[in-house]
Amino acid sequence: MSIPAEPRQREFEDEALIHLDALYGLALRLSGGDEPRAEDLVQEAVLKAYRAWDRFEVGTNCRAWLMTILRNTFINQFRQQKTRPSPVEFEQIAERPSSDALYDADPEGRIFDRMIDDQVIAAIDELPDEFRIAVVLSDLEGLSYQEVAELMGIPVGTVKSRLFRARKRLQERLYDYAVEMGYLK
Amino acid sequence: MSGCGTDSPGGSHSGERELTCEESLARVYEYLDGELDSGEHEAVKDHLEKCRQCYPHYDFERLFLDYVHELGAGEESRPGLEERVREMLAAEPG
Ligand SMILES: [Zn+2]
Repeated sequence: MSIPAEPRQREFEDEALIHLDALYGLALRLSGGDEPRAEDLVQEAVLKAYRAWDRFEVGTNCRAWLMTILRNTFINQFRQQKTRPSPVEFEQIAERPSSDALYDADPEGRIFDRMIDDQVIAAIDELPDEFRIAVVLSDLEGLSYQEVAELMGIPVGTVKSRLFRARKRLQERLYDYAVEMGYLK
Repeated sequence: MSGCGTDSPGGSHSGERELTCEESLARVYEYLDGELDSGEHEAVKDHLEKCRQCYPHYDFERLFLDYVHELGAGEESRPGLEERVREMLAAEPG
């Protein structure tokens, strides 16, 4: 029994489109702040969801279902595009010894109360792809190491080392911002 | 990392060797991420919460991760996106 097109579309829109801002927020962070790319990603994910709508059980968590589709869509695109050479910056982060400047300057973490969220988001956006994706999935989305590893198609040990590097890099950027803003000397 | 008294192997914590500072700090993210199995979780917790050398590092990382977690991916709006999505759906065969 197939539902006529229009009610089906209306039903989908009522259930799914209230999550559009959440989908776009996640798409923006995954794509490092690239707005057109984030919109393409949302459109593709919503279209996939719409085509699979008959398989969605009404009453279960629609937001979580849509976010999963968006993550998978992003990762598929990312893994297909990854044939291009790895950016130089990726190597630099991977090789460079990490600094504890922020801890040394502010061991009690007072800076986290004063930091402007937009600056932290910009710092996350600027991480090289492999590191940013790990941070977004793990720290912003709350996925486990195992879930991140499966999504990205990498070993759990690689997830751990990317998260370590990315978090240290983020702390370095926060240190720079804090000095710029005059929070730290 | 000397002076916290747990660097020597052979401690007696529930039959398991106590962790050194280096071993404990190396696991601080896995600990905070809840990724250690229960035995190791307890051993790391025991060290990080009691060791004068490690505690400040651990506490700092905890505050940092709490901050980033709270940030979340967040919601963002994009002008015209909803209309474009509705148009796309209308063009899709039922
Ligand atoms: Zn210690």
